[in-house]
Amino acid sequence: MSREFKIYFALSIVVFITVILIARLIQLQVVEQKDYGKESERNSIKKITETPARGLIIDRNGKIIVDNRPSYTLTVTPFQFNKNLIPEVAILAGLDTSYVRESLAKAKGTNRFNPVKIKRDIDFKTVSYIEENRERLNGVNYQVESLRNYPNKFSGAHIFGYNAEISEKQLNDSSEDYYRQGDLIGTAGLEKYYEKYLRGEKGSKLISVDVNGREVGPYNDGNNDIKSINGTDLFTSIDSDLQEYAEKLMGKKRGAIIAIDPATGEILCLVSKPDYDLNYFSGTPDFKEISKLFSDPEKPLFNRVTQTRYPPGSTWKMMMALAALASGKITTTSTVSCPGSFTYGNRTFEDHGSYGSINVVRAIEVSSNVFFYKMGLLLGIDNYHNYSELFGFGMRTGIDLPSETRGLLPSQEYFDKVYGKNKWTQGLLVSLGIGQGELGVSPVQMVAYTSAICMNGLYITPHLVRKIYNSSTNQEYPVNFTKKQIDLPVKYFESVKRGMYLVVNGSGTARNIKNSDYILSGKTGTAQNPGGNNHSWFVGFAPFDNPRIAICVLGENAGWGAQFAAPLAAALMVRYLSGNTIDSYNENASTEVYD
Amino acid sequence: MDKKFFEKFDITLFLSVTALIVIGILAIFSATQSSASASDYYLKQTTFAAIGLVMVIIVMYIPPRYISSITIYMYILSIILLILVLVFGKTINGNKSWFYISGFGIQPSEFAKVATVLAIANFFYRSNEETPKIRFKDIILSSLLVIIPVILVKLENDTGTTIVMLSFIIPMFFWANVSPFFLYGLVTPVFAAVLAFIDIRLFYLYIAVILISMFFFKRNFILSGLLIAVNIIAGYSVTFLYSKLQPYQQNRIKAVFDPSSDPLGSGYNVIQSKVAIGSGGIFGKGYLQGSQTQLKFIPEQWTDFIYCMIGEEFGLIGAVLIIILYLIIIYRFLNNAYLSKNSFLSLACIGFASLFFFHMFINIGMTIGITPVIGIPLPLMSNGVSSLLSFLLMVGIGMNTYRNKDIFI
Repeated sequence: MSREFKIYFALSIVVFITVILIARLIQLQVVEQKDYGKESERNSIKKITETPARGLIIDRNGKIIVDNRPSYTLTVTPFQFNKNLIPEVAILAGLDTSYVRESLAKAKGTNRFNPVKIKRDIDFKTVSYIEENRERLNGVNYQVESLRNYPNKFSGAHIFGYNAEISEKQLNDSSEDYYRQGDLIGTAGLEKYYEKYLRGEKGSKLISVDVNGREVGPYNDGNNDIKSINGTDLFTSIDSDLQEYAEKLMGKKRGAIIAIDPATGEILCLVSKPDYDLNYFSGTPDFKEISKLFSDPEKPLFNRVTQTRYPPGSTWKMMMALAALASGKITTTSTVSCPGSFTYGNRTFEDHGSYGSINVVRAIEVSSNVFFYKMGLLLGIDNYHNYSELFGFGMRTGIDLPSETRGLLPSQEYFDKVYGKNKWTQGLLVSLGIGQGELGVSPVQMVAYTSAICMNGLYITPHLVRKIYNSSTNQEYPVNFTKKQIDLPVKYFESVKRGMYLVVNGSGTARNIKNSDYILSGKTGTAQNPGGNNHSWFVGFAPFDNPRIAICVLGENAGWGAQFAAPLAAALMVRYLSGNTIDSYNENASTEVYD
Repeated sequence: MDKKFFEKFDITLFLSVTALIVIGILAIFSATQSSASASDYYLKQTTFAAIGLVMVIIVMYIPPRYISSITIYMYILSIILLILVLVFGKTINGNKSWFYISGFGIQPSEFAKVATVLAIANFFYRSNEETPKIRFKDIILSSLLVIIPVILVKLENDTGTTIVMLSFIIPMFFWANVSPFFLYGLVTPVFAAVLAFIDIRLFYLYIAVILISMFFFKRNFILSGLLIAVNIIAGYSVTFLYSKLQPYQQNRIKAVFDPSSDPLGSGYNVIQSKVAIGSGGIFGKGYLQGSQTQLKFIPEQWTDFIYCMIGEEFGLIGAVLIIILYLIIIYRFLNNAYLSKNSFLSLACIGFASLFFFHMFINIGMTIGITPVIGIPLPLMSNGVSSLLSFLLMVGIGMNTYRNKDIFI
């Protein structure tokens, strides 16, 4: 082929395409000009995003515990908006002019005909004012949005969590193209964990607007509209009455309560105190209150059930008993001599009593420290770590709440790392044997462990949600949680449970909570806390023969286990078992027993 | 000026380019005048247009031998920049193809287009010195020069530029005397795939046409059969792969070919831009008078959708004038390629002509709803420093080609 031919070949392609382009231009600009001209006069198109209502949260009896209420949100659409109106908008919204200016500045660079949300939850008077002055207030508008509503007698702050306006970082990090500036996103609790379900799917409408930006009707008869899909509902296992009662009992103290159904792992109540008022976050966020929450030294935003780790104290003793039995270090009938103290190297470890030669059941009943100092040493770090791991310590339980802690379960590598290889001695295991020292557990780990004991080794991840169902699409989504059998002989569990039975119903440390109607069992714990008063623990279950509730109560700096945690746990267990009628808690009941 | 000057200075190319830049700046001003965040874009564009035009003159005077010798370094540099942007780049509109240096966005992929064209031109020029015959090895190696940046740009998620990168290789092969039959085998499966995707009956018809066309090439039975087989496989594999995709992925691809299937995404811009251009009529609504564009119904109207401004405010007359200016520029590149006795610059001009042509066709086609919406700029007009300077670099080399048309290197 000659160069000339090639050039002509190329030119002919170029000219051919050019002719197509020009022909199309003539079609648009000459033949169909009238249609497009009209459309441009009257029918400029505006896109309106429809945000669906978030999914409901429902308790175990079908009662709605989180729903939505309609509210009005003041918006400003930048492309129609004249900046001279900023002061007036600020007055309308009850905000500083600088805040309004900032909100608009943040929206720069995004689509200028997307309305920017200035203030949520404005009152009806403001809405009517906007309507009356529509002509003058160009670009100022309002949207109907649904906001969270909590129709309960309890708070549930750490269960539900809250929604907040998406942050710039979240917007940038989000891998999917869904959120826009000003959108609400689940930021804590179930709202965060199940955000993908709860939020639903946004829809959009194309609306024809005239040259002045006034809406004149749907575009293309709404054929291009996408309907929003309402959020998916969460059916939780929360028992509203028990939750309310638990929050009441915890009162203004600091601590955590979690109770589950041992057969299913379903959480019946979950309390972390201090908590916060969810309404601070719904509607126009109350920034003053919120910043107080963030700087509060008592950390009310922290979920003490899942995010905090404490030394378990004596509630750890069942773990040691099971590990010692399972590893063959002792049998159910072995006896260990337990004088009032134990000396290892040049250190003496105290006990609160001298018990003579006792077996493992008796050791749990009286909460002998010496017995379990010896168990810690007998086990050695590897057994200690491996058996505890079987019961979920040192790892997340997988509860359906965000940011769960793993706790701290020491291992050979851990100590090698902290102290250096061969720079630490077995002596560390003495304290670890009674749940002190470098050991951290969360209340949710403790309740899962207690539940596994009372179910003879059936370990189920504690969880809040039992069903995820969208009523507008009729779609149900699967809920999956770990369920495993911890493979230890039943007789070991029986011995440990016997000990826990005697703690309450024998001469044990929690005999003050013995109940005539229901056989309660459990174990107290008093965790030494270098920073202040002891933490008060109780883990337990009831009824003894056919457990229907397993519970863990922790009171921060609340003293002995029997003093604070045990009576509270007992009251809750009885309340649940009796069908939610009895208020048996007496805060000032005498507690002569100690741990 | 005397006649001799114009023998060395491609005044037609220079004036057309300047005209497009000036109209582009006017359009950017109109598109952004009522915008708070973008209202000074035209000033930036003007500054860089001035710098760019000076660069054109400088590039024109660089000895071709020197350009040839630095080509490989430009290419390596552009690859390094593409890798760096993948690691450190900023994501804008889903593409991770931007560097931000003190407020300036820089897109290395724009620069990579020029560098790659030059690298291929230089490659054929060097291999031509060894033997004028095109060997299979040459085709593989020169393809590799394109594939490396293509993969990097694709990793940046910049589909538009990826396709652009593939657009100039065939014309350059064609000009470099690669066998037309081979090129035919390279191009036809692409159309087969597209047609099979649109409508399987079109695909059958197409295969029949390919079959008949084999008689003109008069190749042997095996080669002809191979070419037909490749076409059939391309068609079927596309429909097969498409059926294996998730529905949302299918929708995304569908939206590229049929914007109205995605009225809120890419289709939204096309609906708006058609209204804007269509309502402009023959004479347009007048400068700064376009209601569609002034009301900002079209996002990105100062970059990828700048042609809407022209269509709405200057009407058919303005819109066609722009196309004619591009036609002149493309013609000048082809003409200079034809005149040049220097095979390196000649081949580069073919690559640049392809780039101008492809950008113009896809970009204008997209605004009037006849080509897929892939985000590529309108050469010399869209707001954006990287794109403007890259195209002006091409113009500079085009002018250089004209100036040195009688010199072998």
